[in-house]
Amino acid sequence: MLSTMIEANKLTKRYGGRTAVRDVSFRCEPGTVTGFLGPNGAGKSTTLKMLCGLAVPTSGQASLLGTPFRELPNPGRRIGVLIDASAQHSGRRGAEVLATSAQLMGVDQKRVGEMLELVGLDSSAARKRVGKYSLGMRQRLGIAHALLGDPEVLIFDEPANGLDPEGMRWMRALLRDFADRGGTVLLSSHLLGEVQAIADRLVVIARGEIVAQGSPGELTGGVPRTVVRTADGGPGDRALRRVLAEQEILVREGPDGGLLTDAAPELIGRAALRGGVALAELRPASDGASLEQLFFQLTTDNQPESHTEARDLQEATR
Amino acid sequence: MSATASIRPIGGSVRQTGRDQRPGIGRLIAVELRKMVNTRSGFWVPIAVAAMTLLVAIIGSTNHGGASATFVHIFNISSRPAAFLLPVMGVLLICGEWSQRTTLTTFTLVPNKGRVIAAKFGASVLVSTVALIVCLLLTFVCASLLGHAPHGTGSLPIQVILQGWLELAAGMAMGLAFGAAVLVSAPAIVAYLLLPVVWNGIIGGISALDGVARWLDSGNTLNPLTLHSLNGSEWAHVAATLAFWIGLPMLIGWFRIGRGDID
Repeated sequence: MLSTMIEANKLTKRYGGRTAVRDVSFRCEPGTVTGFLGPNGAGKSTTLKMLCGLAVPTSGQASLLGTPFRELPNPGRRIGVLIDASAQHSGRRGAEVLATSAQLMGVDQKRVGEMLELVGLDSSAARKRVGKYSLGMRQRLGIAHALLGDPEVLIFDEPANGLDPEGMRWMRALLRDFADRGGTVLLSSHLLGEVQAIADRLVVIARGEIVAQGSPGELTGGVPRTVVRTADGGPGDRALRRVLAEQEILVREGPDGGLLTDAAPELIGRAALRGGVALAELRPASDGASLEQLFFQLTTDNQPESHTEARDLQEATR
Repeated sequence: MSATASIRPIGGSVRQTGRDQRPGIGRLIAVELRKMVNTRSGFWVPIAVAAMTLLVAIIGSTNHGGASATFVHIFNISSRPAAFLLPVMGVLLICGEWSQRTTLTTFTLVPNKGRVIAAKFGASVLVSTVALIVCLLLTFVCASLLGHAPHGTGSLPIQVILQGWLELAAGMAMGLAFGAAVLVSAPAIVAYLLLPVVWNGIIGGISALDGVARWLDSGNTLNPLTLHSLNGSEWAHVAATLAFWIGLPMLIGWFRIGRGDID
């Protein structure tokens, strides 16, 4: 059993003088879903194209199942790729797209129907020309196409684009299931919410460089666990800080008035009781919120005006 | 391949045979032929070519009339629709992939771009052969039923038939080469149609280069292919013309496709 299914090793891509991707390295192991996260234009697609042999890296290497993609004899039977669901001939019928690729890969034609059924494209959709498809239907066709060769690795670029909420839930369940069966999944997204629920690992890219990678837990390790707000504002805060300082619990100012700390809520509650400080709010900082905070902290520039921009984006992800 | 698959399949199980077997060139050619006709436009273009061939063969057999309605003359004009449209099909065979961006799928399934392009050339040779057979059948049927040449319809030498096949296959290859060099359908078709003419106008206008122009003027050098058996110097002209108008754009295409990333 090979342990690394996808490996990017210092992948760098320069277009003229502009560096689109710089020194990107990560690995994906069997049985895991890796979320490749970053804002639009961060270099996600370029990286995925280098993995799939569609773009030649300026330097660095990519390997799939231990070899460069281009040296795989019949890649469709090993790696399911969905780079852009819109990149299909508009005059070709959905089923025919799959049937043609099945012929090329040497896969039984009966799998075409099975995959169409799996992704929820009925027989009337299968007969339609792709030009008549909605973006969501194209994504489903693209997912069916990626699964056609019964691969052990899936590489999806923004597969959630165009899917409705129900479709997104369906796709997440499908990818999670694929990984739980022993497969390896790498999927990119510019929205944390899309991958957070199913990803075992996150690789965060910004401005062409990896800014963080690890399990969601590891990434949020440095992010506060608890939000606390006192009832009396300033005086209450000072009183609470005093009691917490005695117990060597560090706190810092939160973004909207409250205090943030790495201690568990229960500890804070007991300390407040001892100090006689009335609390207005005491809650765990939700994983989602803190991860989201981290994501935007990592991927946006620390310029004054970018704060509101980050907020807007944050709103958009909800 | 050192990895072993322990993953349980999604959907019905797929035979594990052929997993790491490179698809042969025959299969790639079959797939290219399928892709050529399984789109809406791809389906109708060959039918249109056949219909136009039939129409021209009828006109040639009847209207042309008289002494000249021999097999050779009818074949000469009935091969015009295919000679004109097969190169356009050749251009589309390459540019269709780039304009519809199916290159993303094509080159992730077959990462070796050279094999894909070779398969397209192979497919175009087969299409040219089918077009020739259709053209011959329609020529014989129309000439036999409608031809009224006073001294019969004469014979169609095998060499002229083979030359006709060469014209169709080479024309389609030229279309592929222009498609590869330009990668966008409309400009590639315009370049294919206009460049040889413009070339002839410019180079032919310079008296010192007049000789060169005559060697590479595809309009003149390829014309006799469906008229009569070529002699030595005519073959030399054909060879020079084809080497130039297929070779040069293909060289450019080779660099563009080979070096370029797929978007």
